[in-house]
Amino acid sequence: MQRLDRIVESSARSLAQRTSRRSFIGVLGRILTGSLLIPLLPIDRIQRAEAATGPEGSPAKGKSAGKPYTEDQQNCEYWKYCAIDGFLCSCCGGSSHSCPPGTQQSVVSWIGTCHNPADGRDYIVSYNDCCGKASCGNCDCYRNERERPLYRLSRNNDVNWCMANTGSDYHCTVSVILGSSGP
Amino acid sequence: MRSFQAWAALLAMMASGWAAASDPLPPEQFGMEPLPARTPHWIYVVDSAFMNETDSRVRLYDADTHGHLGQIDAGFFPGVTLSPDRNTMAVGTTYFARGGHGDRIDVVEFTDMTTLALTGEIVLPAKRAQATPTYFNLGYSSDSHFLYAAYITPAASFGVLDPAARKVLGEIDTAGCVLVIPWGPDHVSSICDSGRLLTVTLDAQGNEVSRALSDTFFDVETDPLFVQGIPTNQGYTFLSFLGKVHEVDFSGTEPVFHLPWSLLSAAETGHWRPGGQQLGAIQRRLGRLYVTMHRGGEGTHKKGGTEIWVFDLGTHRRIARWPVAALKLGPVSALQVSQDESPLLFLASDNPAAVATVDALTGQLRHTDTNLGQTPWQILNP
Repeated sequence: MQRLDRIVESSARSLAQRTSRRSFIGVLGRILTGSLLIPLLPIDRIQRAEAATGPEGSPAKGKSAGKPYTEDQQNCEYWKYCAIDGFLCSCCGGSSHSCPPGTQQSVVSWIGTCHNPADGRDYIVSYNDCCGKASCGNCDCYRNERERPLYRLSRNNDVNWCMANTGSDYHCTVSVILGSSGP
Repeated sequence: MRSFQAWAALLAMMASGWAAASDPLPPEQFGMEPLPARTPHWIYVVDSAFMNETDSRVRLYDADTHGHLGQIDAGFFPGVTLSPDRNTMAVGTTYFARGGHGDRIDVVEFTDMTTLALTGEIVLPAKRAQATPTYFNLGYSSDSHFLYAAYITPAASFGVLDPAARKVLGEIDTAGCVLVIPWGPDHVSSICDSGRLLTVTLDAQGNEVSRALSDTFFDVETDPLFVQGIPTNQGYTFLSFLGKVHEVDFSGTEPVFHLPWSLLSAAETGHWRPGGQQLGAIQRRLGRLYVTMHRGGEGTHKKGGTEIWVFDLGTHRRIARWPVAALKLGPVSALQVSQDESPLLFLASDNPAAVATVDALTGQLRHTDTNLGQTPWQILNP
């Protein structure tokens, strides 16, 4: 039995070393959808989009409940967090778009453009910091897609966006939809 | 059992008798260790303390003895720089009157680097750029006459300070260009969104006498430049997201831009990238460039290096690739190299936090220290 365990473990490790997570998801997706013969249900569309656009090299440090990226707002890979670098307010007493109680909403912010796999639209989102309390420290998340250096300030997340608040200590970050790029 | 207890009691009595027979330890003198004379193998590690950002600090470390030499408090989003004679460290930082809240106090604090004693401060307007560490958040003029502090409110400007008189002299608007790259006694350049440098020239009192915009030298849209410059003999070298090397000569009367060259072959471009917080260092005696590299795409420009690539600056040829995993170190977020004849390469990771000391000629690991802070994002030479 132990020998069988070792063989299975060895095979699994070997497979894991030879294949990336993305390619595994891609292969699995093709098997499940049976190529183009089975009509795509909404859930299939979500999974395909995520396989195609999942963040490369961006660690999911947020708490994951096993929900897809379109639902779990405490997961770093949640679609609205595509250019975030900080602590998720949804893990600090707030939500993906609102600050925790007793903090201050930042009066200035940076912006990003994120793709929502659920409806296939791109959205402009405002990344606002919540301010006036010390670092939350939960759900450290960095994605940085289309984030740019400090000279392009409106696209930069390496600066304290609580800078213009009376309470300018950084606590956590939210992602607020400003509008969609399509109809 | 009773016999065992008797023997144990006898042995205990004999041991206490022997102890009583030896001399007691002498009283100790409560004091403070002097800081030893610095060597090229010291480093100053800026721990941005990301999980509790009001508590950044700079840690002094001797890579030869593996000794922790001391600490300088650095507050919130500090900018750290050394005076040209290396005897003073200036830390531009922010404190809040009640810890995480209360009145904001922006200040530059000066530390004597022979004693680690605080020697003074300059209180700034509440405009200091609270940004991740670079060489250009705070910087001295070459003659130490001025100290410049980058401001972002989010309007961009910089403060001109008199470090000897400990006072603010004035503020210069930079029209959206950011950070301070001091060169010579009276020039400050800032990096602009247009891919140009703005250079302001000052008079002896710190007032602006002229300003000039350079030609465009990088493309913000297709291949942005990291703002973390690397000191060279003539100025600074900047790396781009896709691995282009932009050498800028600040030794003349205006910045001169060398023809960019690439760290990557055509096949590697777009697949391997520089990344991290302090992503390059140059051993100026050897003419070698060390870069933290990783495999990744758009959005991975802050991802730490899984390999260190070494280049000859004369030929632009890659002369080594050192996998970080072989050092049992996480992805490298900051690196620095000593400038002596037996150079050491310092590699810092924040996941898990550790600083490895490596032979800069061979890549061989000498030592790893895990007590130099939680997010060591910048390393300075002494």
